[in-house]
Amino acid sequence: MIRNLMYRIPLLLITVSAAVTLSGCWNIKDINHRSLPVIMGLQHKNGVFQVWLLLPEASEGRSNVRVVSDAGKTIEGTIDRIGKNMETRVDLLHLKVIVFGQALAEKGLGDTVSGFMRARDIPAKTLAAICDGELEPLFDRLKSSTSNNGIEAYNYFEKNAGWTPQVAQTRIWQIYRSLHSYTRDVAIPIIKPGRTTTLESTGSAVIKNGRMVARITPDETLLYNLFNGQGAQGRIEVMDHAAVQILTDRMTHQSALKEGKAVLNSRLHLKVTVLETISSPTSDRIRQELNELLTTRFQRMFRELQREEADILGVGQFFRARMSREDLRDWRSDHYPHLLINFRVDSIIENVGLLNTMGP
Amino acid sequence: MDLLAFLKTRQEQDADLFLHRMFVADQSVVLAGFKSLIDLPQTMMLLQQQARNTVASERPLFALESGIGTCIRDADERRVMEAISEGDLILLPESVPLCIRIVPVNRTLTRAIEAPTTESVLRGPISAFNEDLDTNLGILKKLVVSPRLRTRSFWMGSDVRRHAVLVYMEGRIDPALLTAITQKIESNQETDVPDLMALTRLLGFPKWTLVTRYNTTELPQNAASALSKGKAVLLLDRFPFAIVLPSLLLDMFFADNDMNFPLFYAVSFRFLRMVGVLTNVLLPGLYVALVSVNPEVLRIEIALSIAGSRSEVPYPALVETLLLLLILELTLEASIRLPKTIGPTITMVGGIILGQAVVEAKLVSNILIIILAATTIANFAVIGFHNATTVRLGKYLILFLSAVYGLMGLFVGTVVLCAYIAKVSTFGIPYVYRWRARDRNG
Repeated sequence: MIRNLMYRIPLLLITVSAAVTLSGCWNIKDINHRSLPVIMGLQHKNGVFQVWLLLPEASEGRSNVRVVSDAGKTIEGTIDRIGKNMETRVDLLHLKVIVFGQALAEKGLGDTVSGFMRARDIPAKTLAAICDGELEPLFDRLKSSTSNNGIEAYNYFEKNAGWTPQVAQTRIWQIYRSLHSYTRDVAIPIIKPGRTTTLESTGSAVIKNGRMVARITPDETLLYNLFNGQGAQGRIEVMDHAAVQILTDRMTHQSALKEGKAVLNSRLHLKVTVLETISSPTSDRIRQELNELLTTRFQRMFRELQREEADILGVGQFFRARMSREDLRDWRSDHYPHLLINFRVDSIIENVGLLNTMGP
Repeated sequence: MDLLAFLKTRQEQDADLFLHRMFVADQSVVLAGFKSLIDLPQTMMLLQQQARNTVASERPLFALESGIGTCIRDADERRVMEAISEGDLILLPESVPLCIRIVPVNRTLTRAIEAPTTESVLRGPISAFNEDLDTNLGILKKLVVSPRLRTRSFWMGSDVRRHAVLVYMEGRIDPALLTAITQKIESNQETDVPDLMALTRLLGFPKWTLVTRYNTTELPQNAASALSKGKAVLLLDRFPFAIVLPSLLLDMFFADNDMNFPLFYAVSFRFLRMVGVLTNVLLPGLYVALVSVNPEVLRIEIALSIAGSRSEVPYPALVETLLLLLILELTLEASIRLPKTIGPTITMVGGIILGQAVVEAKLVSNILIIILAATTIANFAVIGFHNATTVRLGKYLILFLSAVYGLMGLFVGTVVLCAYIAKVSTFGIPYVYRWRARDRNG
């Protein structure tokens, strides 16, 4: 027993002292000594990166934000310089939204996003957005209109908060994935300071290989979200005669290669409810118009996407099993522009709202 | 009559000892015993009555079969003193060299059967054990009306002797367990048992342990159900708790009283207790890990609100937590010591004044107050105070590991605790074993 103890006590002491001395726990900073930026703005001008950070001020009872910015050759270097000048450590681990300047997006986000993924100091789930116009006024607006520690911009994109399906929702890892995928591109929401609201979305940017090549409208973004199964519930669709709300949406696809040409039969199954009518149209008419509207809107958007060779809908995914890897490499340039898509909308009007007075 | 001489010298050192000379059926006898334990007038009356009966039936007064008492053979000083200190009356006839031990009328030195003071019952029998061994055994026998019930009596200790009774149910208890317990008790019978620590040593359990190997319960129904499940119950004289052997992990969560409720409620009560233990063990560590090492796990809203509430706190999260935990443990300890009349004072001082002022003084963040209040409340969701004590220690290990390694430390600490608990066993029965009641007679 004594012998046993003689071995055990030193062993225990060594373990405990090693646990304390090797852990590096003296570098740990408590949460109140870290600045947790919520939004980062990035712009690239004249070979210089400009970085804005929206920092919630941690103080009891009040919710305040401040915007710090700096410029430099590299993003990480600039953030580091901001941190050096701050009284707290800048910790990007709670960064929610990165707003890229349009110029930077048009030049290409590839290096930037790869850098974020490599450094891992920014969570991969951070949402991306593109600013329509200058970043300065956007941050001014965010700073002046904040009432909630500056997380409004995050709530704007958050599915369980203010997000609506007319706004694309793309995360940093998705952009990174699109950089390395042959068959998938992404759309990033375009925002600007709103007239009466904090933010306003003016559509989405089509990002091909990390570069912004086109933009689509909010209505087209809804189709993009429908196509990607981003449940468009609660969305109000306005037509000439009625407004409907999409209850559920489901997509089915059938891909084929006919004589070397890619053919995709896509069907959008919608269940909608009627919210508002003008001059009492029949249900059939509403359904017909809804189908026509969505089909033409989709065709128009798809033609443009084909022209830009940007596969933001990810239709190439349906041909992955049908093509060799070599063929897929040229998917965007060879096959995608000639893809024949048969898009059909099947909508069911589930009910006519709480009034049951409309004809069949 | 050297025995009488011995008692006389003894009387000079022990004022409590009486030597009373009287006549029983015309025979001169000396009665010896302790005044404080024996109701002498009553006993004398009883003795006279018995003597009259014996004489009437024309039997020799001091013969064995006359039934006055038991005769101590080869009576020496030690045996006589033992009998006296156990509270019996010694009768020494002057004519015959005999020493008769008589069961006297005792003084009442025990409180009546009362409601439990350390455990509470919502539904179920409310009477609790008290200090008197025979009373306890009686209550138990009332509850377990079964021909299988067996009791074995032991006297433990050499200097200070203590009566103990081992109760079990034949056919229900594992014979190996029974043999192990009785062997331990019999082989260490000379050990004094002033407290449960000594009992632990007597039963051969390790001294340095975080887990008590036996449950103590004040409720006869708990002891009864333990018996019917095949556990052993040890009753000590002057100890108002039954000691249930062995204690298992699930005893922390499964109260017998649960079964007085519909099953759905019973299950949810048990689930709640498990949540309570987890809360108590993990929450302080989780707070420190999230606040100082891994704030990325928190949602941004709560991260900001914690950062806000901590903004003027000068200490790191670990020191802050330890500071408040110390105060809480002190409050707990103090409220056990305090007389019931001043109890509410400590509640007010601890709860209102300290809780409010410590936040006002910016010594700790108010989120921590919430967390530690939840921790302390959760601590006592488990069954039995000894189990609550066991749980109390675990959180410190996790707290320190979390402060150093963050969430990783939290998990490692949990694993270490689980490994420790898995190692513990009582008489070869693992602590984490799920006890099943079974009939061993087939």
